[in-house]
Amino acid sequence: MMTVSALSGYLIVSGLLLAIGLVGFLVRRNLIVMFLCTELMFQGAALAFIAIGHYLFDYSGQVMVIFILTVAAAEAALALALVVLMHRQGDTLDADAFVELSE
Amino acid sequence: MDMFLPYIACLTIALALYAALRPSPLTVRVGMIVVAVAAAGWLVGLVTGSLSAFADASQGIFFIIFSLCAIGSALRMITHVQPVYSALYFVLVVLSTAGLFLLLEAEFMAFALIIVYAGAILITYMFVLMLANQATSPNNPDSQAQYDRVPREPAAAVGVGFLLLCLISGTVINGSASLPEQGNELTKWSTLEHLPKQFQEDVLALDSDFAWPPVASGQGNVIHIEGSEVFIISTNGDTLVLPEEMLPRNTQQVGWSLVNDFPVSLELAGVILLMAMFGAAIIARRAIELGEQEKRRVILSEETEAGGQS
Repeated sequence: MMTVSALSGYLIVSGLLLAIGLVGFLVRRNLIVMFLCTELMFQGAALAFIAIGHYLFDYSGQVMVIFILTVAAAEAALALALVVLMHRQGDTLDADAFVELSE
Repeated sequence: MDMFLPYIACLTIALALYAALRPSPLTVRVGMIVVAVAAAGWLVGLVTGSLSAFADASQGIFFIIFSLCAIGSALRMITHVQPVYSALYFVLVVLSTAGLFLLLEAEFMAFALIIVYAGAILITYMFVLMLANQATSPNNPDSQAQYDRVPREPAAAVGVGFLLLCLISGTVINGSASLPEQGNELTKWSTLEHLPKQFQEDVLALDSDFAWPPVASGQGNVIHIEGSEVFIISTNGDTLVLPEEMLPRNTQQVGWSLVNDFPVSLELAGVILLMAMFGAAIIARRAIELGEQEKRRVILSEETEAGGQS
């Protein structure tokens, strides 16, 4: 049902989403937007899983996306709780303001 | 020359993204994003070939619309100065990806994505953004915090992203040549014994005259799909045509695959969610503890309220 050319189109779109998410994660300094960019990378991975699952006529790809959704939800809950905590202590969302945590 | 065209498209995307990331007037940024989206469309067109790659032309057109919408809003998301707008553009990315999922016949995942991402995760993000962000005027971009306006090392970050993009597109272009032109649609789909018991009973009840031979372990009655025809080949070579509406739907198949092939992962996913809930509750509980000054302020305000009432 699905040709290789169509599959490569979907894979390129997923690779673009992944690369844009990576650039955003490196470039932005706002902690919340950085985590939003990791969600963008999750989107790219999910699209690749579903496209290859459709090409191979295999439903495991969609099951993997269910697990991606689970991990993304857990990550969002924990990361945002931490961000709120850090914002209360430092009164800023700048990632560079928390450099002393690395020591 | 032909083999360098995808890398030239990648380079165009990277340069336009770098120009859009630097602090500049709004029109310049939007124009650069339009250039990047056009280059991305060129890259996708180079890889896909023509619209005939898709099952029908409308599917190809929808693919182009949804993918360009996803890429454009993703670019706008990482370049927008205001975090709230970034989150809103991410909703647009999620909706476009859900559209692509629908084109890939993954209906359940498309709507689960909209419900979980746009409905739950993004609401959490917006809530935290509203809680943490200082009030700014939308007309004056300089009122935005400095860490939102000035990007960190845009040249290095775009360089890394460009290398990743080149790697991915090179792999896709070179690797797709060694793949068969179609997936294993025409070959053995599954054995009847591998499918849910309810489906087996329905098939057995379909034709009472059909002679079902005894099935040895390790083999089974094979289900073939050819075009829209679906039929079962039993172990002694007889065939039985199945009506198409009897086949399990996409959602049923996903559920069956989830509990049959990945039972341990399903339990682990539940444990991960439980741990995240515990962790978030513990972190939030610690966050409620007030500092000395806030305690004093709260006690003072309570006293003035009590004084006003009496």
